[in-house]
Amino acid sequence: MDKILNVKNLKISFRTQSGTLKAVRDISFDLERGRTLAIVGESGSGKSVTSKAILGILAGNSIVEGGEILYDGRDLLKISEEEMCTIRGDKISMIFQDPLSALNPIVKIGKQITEAMLLKNKTSRKQAKDEFNSTLALLNTNIAEATGDAAKAKELCEMFDKFCIEANKLENSYNISSSNALNVKEEIIDFIFRTGKAQKLDIKNSLNTYSKLLKEIKDPFFTAGYTDQLTSLSNQLNSVKGNFDKKTGVVGNDLISCLEEIKTLLEEMLSQTRPDFFCIGFYSMKNPSETLTGRNVAELNAMASSYLEEHFMDSFVPAAAKGIEHSYRKSLEKKSEVLSVLNEAKVYFSGEFDKKSSLDYAKKVADAVDATIDRLEIQKDSQAYTLRSSLNTAINKYFTAVINNPKEEERFEKQTAKRDALIAKGKTVDWKVIPKNVYDLDELKNNIVTLIARMISHYQNQLHAGDVDFTHKAHLMIDYFKDKASKVVYEVTPSMAKERAIKLMEEVGINEPRMRYYQYPFEFSGGMRQRIVIAIALAADPEILICDEPTTALDVTIQAQILELINRLKKERNLSIIFITHDLGVVANMADDIGVMYAGKIVEYGTADDIFYDPRHPYTWALLSSMPDLDTKEKLDAIPGTPPNMIFPPVGDAFADRNKYAMQIDFEMQPPMFEISETHRAATWLLHPDAPKVEVPKAITDRIERMKQKSGGAAS
Amino acid sequence: MSENKEVLLKVEHLSQYFGPVKAVDDVSFEIMKGEVFGLVGESGCGKTTTGRSIIRIYDITGGNIYFQGEKIAAGSDIYKIQVKQAKNNLKEMTKRLNADSKVNPGNKNENDARIKELQEEFKTLSEKNKVLAKEAKLAHKSADMDKVHKIQMIFQDPIASLNPRMTVKEIISEGLVINGEKDQNVIDEKVYSILETVGLVREHAGRYPHEFSGGQRQRIGIARSVIMQPELLIADEPISALDVSIQAQVINLLNDLRDTLNLTILFIAHDLSVVKYFSDRIGVMYFGKMVELAPSDELFARPMHPYTRSLLSAIPLPDPRSEKNRTRMTYNSLAAHDYTVDKPTLREVSPGHFVYCNDAEELKYKKEFNL
Repeated sequence: MDKILNVKNLKISFRTQSGTLKAVRDISFDLERGRTLAIVGESGSGKSVTSKAILGILAGNSIVEGGEILYDGRDLLKISEEEMCTIRGDKISMIFQDPLSALNPIVKIGKQITEAMLLKNKTSRKQAKDEFNSTLALLNTNIAEATGDAAKAKELCEMFDKFCIEANKLENSYNISSSNALNVKEEIIDFIFRTGKAQKLDIKNSLNTYSKLLKEIKDPFFTAGYTDQLTSLSNQLNSVKGNFDKKTGVVGNDLISCLEEIKTLLEEMLSQTRPDFFCIGFYSMKNPSETLTGRNVAELNAMASSYLEEHFMDSFVPAAAKGIEHSYRKSLEKKSEVLSVLNEAKVYFSGEFDKKSSLDYAKKVADAVDATIDRLEIQKDSQAYTLRSSLNTAINKYFTAVINNPKEEERFEKQTAKRDALIAKGKTVDWKVIPKNVYDLDELKNNIVTLIARMISHYQNQLHAGDVDFTHKAHLMIDYFKDKASKVVYEVTPSMAKERAIKLMEEVGINEPRMRYYQYPFEFSGGMRQRIVIAIALAADPEILICDEPTTALDVTIQAQILELINRLKKERNLSIIFITHDLGVVANMADDIGVMYAGKIVEYGTADDIFYDPRHPYTWALLSSMPDLDTKEKLDAIPGTPPNMIFPPVGDAFADRNKYAMQIDFEMQPPMFEISETHRAATWLLHPDAPKVEVPKAITDRIERMKQKSGGAAS
Repeated sequence: MSENKEVLLKVEHLSQYFGPVKAVDDVSFEIMKGEVFGLVGESGCGKTTTGRSIIRIYDITGGNIYFQGEKIAAGSDIYKIQVKQAKNNLKEMTKRLNADSKVNPGNKNENDARIKELQEEFKTLSEKNKVLAKEAKLAHKSADMDKVHKIQMIFQDPIASLNPRMTVKEIISEGLVINGEKDQNVIDEKVYSILETVGLVREHAGRYPHEFSGGQRQRIGIARSVIMQPELLIADEPISALDVSIQAQVINLLNDLRDTLNLTILFIAHDLSVVKYFSDRIGVMYFGKMVELAPSDELFARPMHPYTRSLLSAIPLPDPRSEKNRTRMTYNSLAAHDYTVDKPTLREVSPGHFVYCNDAEELKYKKEFNL
């Protein structure tokens, strides 16, 4: 199975006034592509904290004590905020619990859906431009160094830059025309919809705008073959423009039919194949006098592409490959050199060191590693890029602990002494001593060494990577440039965003999205609001969707609708979902895999069938038997007591206090994860070979029996 | 409980309007002594409003509520609303008839007579309603409040419904103090014994609500309502704000209290599996109307109203295999019924099973279940 997200040994705590609250204590799970992982637990068990950590939106008083969240080869806990911005929302998206507070009450729905699309586009254009220029300059120097022919390298790169600019010009003009066409089309659909519903509308003004915008559609590539039709329709529109009743707003039939015609024409124009401007740009630069418009687009593309191949790429690709190879070899050489520095550092950090000199030393190491990075690589090596910050954080953490540990010890002793004295005097003491928040210095030191050791093994792997196909890499590089170049001129206009938003709204099942687009959140019912939140989450086409109790605030019928919607979207878009809830009924509907959380730990993990038909942990038993189903008649097995206060985490199994099957060892030692089958794990001492045999509660065996009968004996 | 047929609470044509919103519209039901009556429906359908109207938190718009055979609330506003509607109708009709007279002068006499007739009708109605409204107002005002005190309520949110500045003892004993109990020893004794009944201990009496967990807080809320020795307890979603593991504790507690204190409970909730587990009879509400009312096993075995069916089909069950093959029924009140000619009423389709339907639908339901 393809693992898309990988959480390893995650530990999170919160600083609070009365001590450090351990919210998540060492949990690990994998999310597989196209599956739903449900995390079940009570409030305060750390479900939401885990999901927030994945998105990097933890509260300010949180401390990530350790662990990693691997996505796409990167550790989400270590990457910079800028990098996180490209993941959050775009790749991993979230549906929040309460649709009422997740939406801004004074902003219209349409704006809330399109807001992120427009903002993201604006920054991505600027970024694309910068990246294009800097990478091209790097390639230039590398080719020059590799071939020794600086003039040739310069010429090639300048040529490349030049025709990209030419291509951009053409593409930009095409984009403007097509976005104008889209705009008019959208407006006309709106116009027809609104006049059909007899809604208020400034008819005269909008018709004038349409004819003005129609005139703006004049890109030769875009209008090729449609010019005559367009002018005649635009003239027709001008002649029937006055045909409406100013008082009642009733529009004449010929005006409507004219608008319909324009709409169909524009739709046809918008659906035509897009010319390959990257190739055409080169061709038109070389042959400025030739007219390219009016030809068949597919033929034109093929012709321009072969021309580009012949006259430019044949010389550019080998040169680029050489440049890339040069940069690669150079960095490889440096990497083998830096290994000795890293090995030295490993020794240094294993020994004794003080803060100032160690920070200086870390800087030296990070500089050396920085110099080895192959800047021409398209897939950035995040481990090398983040070494500096991770090293600094680890060292600072160590020295903070060195200073704070004695202080904590002192405070703890003082408080204990005070409490003991009070008790000795015979007074009742209703407060507990806040446990000491002491870090294990060896572990922290070890963290630093592991960081460097990981870097070493990472580089060693690269050194023994074997042959690399540099021509292929050069082609990838050209694709990268092409992508960036067209991104520079790809502008998402409000009307484009609107078209997408309306499609999204239709997809999540909102009727009459064109009318709903202009409404405020309070005009929607609870279920509809949750649909809007889902639409916003899906706006950037994410791979992973985190649903944090999406149906808790909703009614049974609406809940069923929303769950059906999420399941449908999962299938259609091949989403991977992390579903957080406390409702076992909902889990049964949604989940492929289930993790049961209690007091910041995963106590049982398995597929849905494992958990529901073969539960092993007493907490899972208790959860299953504490809620009645439709056939329950006997007294409910309530779980006595309440979850533990995580400022004072229990020494042994956190569930021991409420567990009627608890053994002595449960109060003394935390149980490890016992493997039951390949997919099924549980953390309870009951699974230890020496443990006494405990029968599964009767209420649960009865229920499983009933369920098996209902599903026709299919379960076995 | 079926042999014990003493009616404890009787709700007759209860209506509760908030301006133009008809939160509860002409709802009637009875609760027998000793039973648990469940009230379900989606949010906004008027379940909570019904509960609050019974305990006179709102002055009801129309209808009567009887408790132990005595009228404890009566609505008078509905009569005014009826007169207003009749007045508008009269105006409309007069206008139409006058217009007709202008077009066809031959009909003028006939039309004038009709107008006079209508005016006469309106006059009698308005006079009759004036008297009725007066009577209802008087009945509502002079209702025996001691009887009303025999009805107590548990609220949904245990955090918001307890005053954070009062100790548990003050919260629980407040009802007693208001009702004139002055002897501190008696109060203490009662508070301590009730604390033990709901599974707390004496020492908790001096603490403040914030020192308790959610489940314990809900126990305090229950203790507060039980100390008045009520006959009827209205539990308004007492478990929806609680954690899964705590919910079962509270349900078990309510079940125990029902036996030991011989309570009758009106249980309002939207979680159908819990309502099924806990209630003897269930009423299903939809947009201010009671659409189906039946003993709980009967309701789940033979749901008749399409809304009930869609509600039952949406219950999530902790069983992955059946969950993944579940087909949900949708309900659209406009598409499901044709009430243009024959207006629906709540009628008894089989013994003890009431459905809101018209003649054609009644026949259909009967045929479907061979009744």
